[in-house]
Amino acid sequence: MERQEIIDGLVEILKTVRTINPEKLVGVTEETDFITDLNAPSTEMINIIAKTEQKFGVEFEDDDIDDLGSKVKNVVDLILKAKQKA
Amino acid sequence: MDNLVGWLPKDVLVLHGPTKLLVDKFHWHSPEAGIVASYTTTARDVEDHFGIMRGVDQVESFTQATAGACNVFFECVKQNCTPIELVDKFLPRFISIGQVNFHNYLEKDDTFVNIGNIRFNKFRQVVCDGRIYKVSPALDLDDYFSRFNDERLLTYDLNEDFTLVAELYDITVRAIKKELFDKQQQ
Repeated sequence: MERQEIIDGLVEILKTVRTINPEKLVGVTEETDFITDLNAPSTEMINIIAKTEQKFGVEFEDDDIDDLGSKVKNVVDLILKAKQKA
Repeated sequence: MDNLVGWLPKDVLVLHGPTKLLVDKFHWHSPEAGIVASYTTTARDVEDHFGIMRGVDQVESFTQATAGACNVFFECVKQNCTPIELVDKFLPRFISIGQVNFHNYLEKDDTFVNIGNIRFNKFRQVVCDGRIYKVSPALDLDDYFSRFNDERLLTYDLNEDFTLVAELYDITVRAIKKELFDKQQQ
């Protein structure tokens, strides 16, 4: 799975998050920060990650989420790591 | 550790000192569904507040009794340890709250139950919705809730003499690894 394909999938998830302004989802890159750039509440991150598991058919460990950064590239890396493990 | 019934709140919510712990007893707990715990207000709870318990303290009591206690329970099961052992590894944090509607008030010596249902439990984050009901001091809560079940929890199927005090939504607690918290503090 290509990284851009994952980013596109993440944007689809983000479109369903009520607290994120859809206008901010134009031009999301690996460096986009969920919290500072998209204004996603930090509590919402866990919901986004849970939706990510479903969308990409992967399972994350609690420890992975504890240490997860708030940039798009961090989630892309996490998905690829989980896919490798599966 | 099958559930929290029989555990003393002070032994579960070990980081709360005696004057800040607002839970007296766990009466019912279905780990995947929810929990019921009671508290009786003290003179300190109503001090300097017109003789009634503050709304924020009701929210605190509810959070300790539901998302807070369930979060400790889930981590203890996962880590195969006791709540006191968990303190060295994780700090529970009350991180978010949704809507709260107050319908009634609580005076000194009033007993109430926090009834919480678990809406989300993943990645050490627990989210509960629920209600607070004032109950008759004569009611044996252990006996009453011995006949409670998941279905009754979801529909708040209770006796008519339970008085609705508050409805609470999206009460969120997350267990933060102590090492991460310490790093943030530096």
